[in-house]
Amino acid sequence: MEQISNLITEKMKTMAKAEDYHPLQSKRKAITTLLPYAIRLEKDGQPEMLDTFLHAARASKEWELTWHRTWKYARRLPHKASPRAFILASPHVRWYLLTDDGDLVQEWAAAASVVPYTEEVGQSVVDVLLQIMEVDELAPHIPVGMWSWLIRQPSLPPVCYGRFIGTHTYIFRAVRALKDIEILKSYLLLVWSEWGCIQDGNSFKDMCASIWKYFSGNGMGDHRAELVQRLDHILGQLDQGLDYLKQHNPQLGRYDLWRMKSQYKELKEVLLEVERCMFSLISYFSHTNSKLDIIQWFGRDVCLHIVNSTAIGVKVLLLYVSWVQ
Amino acid sequence: MVRQGVHEETRGGLEHDFNLCELRAPSTGSTDLHRSQAGLFSAVASAFIIEVNSELRPDRRDETANLLRVLIYQVNSTALGNHIPIIPPEWSGPSRAFVAVQATLFASLATSLFSAFLAMLGKQWLNRYTSTDMRGTAIERSQNRQRKLDGVITWYFDHVMESLPLMLQIALLLLGLALSRYLWEVNIIVACVVIGVTSLGVTFYVFIAIAGTAFESCPYQTPIARTLRHTFHWIYLHTPHPVHVIISNLIQISWCCQLPGGWWSSLEQPWYSTTNIVTSLTCIALIPVALLVDLSRLVPEIVWSLSQDQPTSTSPQIHALDQQMIALDLGCISWILQTSLDKAVHLSTLKHLQQQMLTPINFDPAIVAYCFDVFIGCINVNGCEVVVVQGLEQLTSVSALCLFHMISHLWVMDPTSGALRDVRQRYNKIFPANVTFHGHQFFQTMNAIHQVFIQSVGRQDFRWGHYKPPSDEHTLVAHTLLKLAQFGYKRMGQAKVPRLLLRFALHSLSLDPLPPAPVIADCLSIIAVDLGCNISNTGAVTLDERSVHTL
Repeated sequence: MEQISNLITEKMKTMAKAEDYHPLQSKRKAITTLLPYAIRLEKDGQPEMLDTFLHAARASKEWELTWHRTWKYARRLPHKASPRAFILASPHVRWYLLTDDGDLVQEWAAAASVVPYTEEVGQSVVDVLLQIMEVDELAPHIPVGMWSWLIRQPSLPPVCYGRFIGTHTYIFRAVRALKDIEILKSYLLLVWSEWGCIQDGNSFKDMCASIWKYFSGNGMGDHRAELVQRLDHILGQLDQGLDYLKQHNPQLGRYDLWRMKSQYKELKEVLLEVERCMFSLISYFSHTNSKLDIIQWFGRDVCLHIVNSTAIGVKVLLLYVSWVQ
Repeated sequence: MVRQGVHEETRGGLEHDFNLCELRAPSTGSTDLHRSQAGLFSAVASAFIIEVNSELRPDRRDETANLLRVLIYQVNSTALGNHIPIIPPEWSGPSRAFVAVQATLFASLATSLFSAFLAMLGKQWLNRYTSTDMRGTAIERSQNRQRKLDGVITWYFDHVMESLPLMLQIALLLLGLALSRYLWEVNIIVACVVIGVTSLGVTFYVFIAIAGTAFESCPYQTPIARTLRHTFHWIYLHTPHPVHVIISNLIQISWCCQLPGGWWSSLEQPWYSTTNIVTSLTCIALIPVALLVDLSRLVPEIVWSLSQDQPTSTSPQIHALDQQMIALDLGCISWILQTSLDKAVHLSTLKHLQQQMLTPINFDPAIVAYCFDVFIGCINVNGCEVVVVQGLEQLTSVSALCLFHMISHLWVMDPTSGALRDVRQRYNKIFPANVTFHGHQFFQTMNAIHQVFIQSVGRQDFRWGHYKPPSDEHTLVAHTLLKLAQFGYKRMGQAKVPRLLLRFALHSLSLDPLPPAPVIADCLSIIAVDLGCNISNTGAVTLDERSVHTL
């Protein structure tokens, strides 16, 4: 039995190392079938098969490598697997099939809290967090504290189902509703990626609006800078062309590339606009030493008007406002 | 072999079963009939030969009469009126027509005599075949009988025996032709009657040959129809796909279909217009042409019907030393299950079948039905409850397990198999959807079968559900399925293991507690096979002994 286990593990390693990922995709059912046994072995102190499985899953460049037949087994994961195995295997669970398993979410959160942090664990937790948020029935079961995992900002792999669905409006709004600027920034840094566009048009509009609303206040300059830096990095990657991107995420197409470029350029424009606006307004108020959060006070449109206008009346108005403050 | 399985006390039952029926070979009664018919044909042909034979020699009586007429004329030139007799020329041999007639008659006679000769030999062969060997154990005799049956199939014995009536038919045809030709020379009116009847017979024979070739269900089967079917089948298999497409396209542009439609659409008001009359006449004139074209429709029809016989795949060559013995054993098992009524014989046979390392190459789909028959014979269904007949508990469990094995075999080999469909239909008639097998030893096994036959209707899905068999059964099933996985992998062009086997592996590896180590090894081997690993060196497949030990 050990011999055959080793044989399979070696085979999977070979497949994962190969440049061609299609054999992994075509053998996804067989590879998935191993998952329950690999998890058991990991619990018994033999993590090699599970690690190989995870490596193969990533190398397959498949959204959902796992066979849907494993969904029943997922319910038993908390009892069968060690916390580490549970966390690492959980991105391969089809959470949308487990709509009545709120307890499973709680157990997942509990497991995440006891696993020592590694980049791999962070990726898995964030990936699953976004996947669970997609399921209306499961989302309420996520402990609020789990969102703090976003702040660690693990680098999500090029093909990541969590990031793919994580840009949906309702997920973005849920994150925004936390009213935590650090979490919101981390979320944006995670979901903005050269490996995928923002699928939901409403979500994109919300993001633009939120930048004005949440990242325009005093002391947001560093956050904006981080966001702009991230967008610069993404746009730089996108400039390398589709062929380069497809090496890591074969599901990308020309339309995706065009859409990503336009979306991320626009987001960057919004951030720069906020930056310019803030710079202009602060210069007006520099002598007042006011602590007024100007953009929050006037709103986006008025501020833009102020910045673009040199009318003396507007300046008088601003001086009046600062005097009132 | 059914070596240890069949006990001495079952010997009597088995001997009785040997004489129940002979399955495939023709009966000696039919050869007797052939012999008598061949004799009758020979007698009839001989009578005509004698009759025609006189035409092959000079007729001395006619010659004498002619010479007498000449003498009389020379003595008295007015005695014969105006008729002037002449001296007949010297006989130069029979006319060509009579030679042809006589040759045909002799050919008919020779054919019918050869047929009688073969019938005589056939009776001898069949006597040997049907003789029951009274020596040796029941097992040895069973094997001996199976060898004979296999020999019958290998040497195309049934084809040879079927050629007997064909020879008689040829003899009859020759006789009819010869008679028609002969009577044409004698009297055309009489000849027309004979030709008419012969033509009718030939037409009828051609019709039933075509019908028998096109439709296997046609009751008017003849040896020619069977031969033609095999020939067309061969042509179909060796014809490239584009040719099939062309043929089907030809059907679609059939004239017979287009002609009435075109005629109807071209009709104008009033109906008696000149154009309509011309169109109708043209249409009528074209009908024979259209019929000729549409005759081609018959060929694709035949090809299609023959394709129904097409084997679903070519079996791979499995190089095993005892393949022939396994095939022989399976033949024995099928035959015993089919013919025996003895429950003890059933039990020992099925136990042997359980241990049998079945390879799909030698698998007989009918064995599924036999296993089902045995199982049904052991139980009574009262509403949703299944009651096992007292004393047959063991047989019920064993037959259920064998049925499960056979179904899974067939499911992998050919999910659309007619045998599987038939058993499924029978199962659905016998067992209601909410039947329960609780409390019985075969609960897990029948539950799995039930899920296949009832709960997955329309989905063609083999669901393992809550299949948690006892360890020994699980081991046996896992090992059987591993064999199937290897076969299925080869059959699918070394691409995939059938999904139901992977689902079994997933189910087994997900069980809590884990199944025994042999089951895990087999499940991992199934996965390894699908991944394309060579498991022959891992020892994972050397589990035959292990699975036998756990029984």
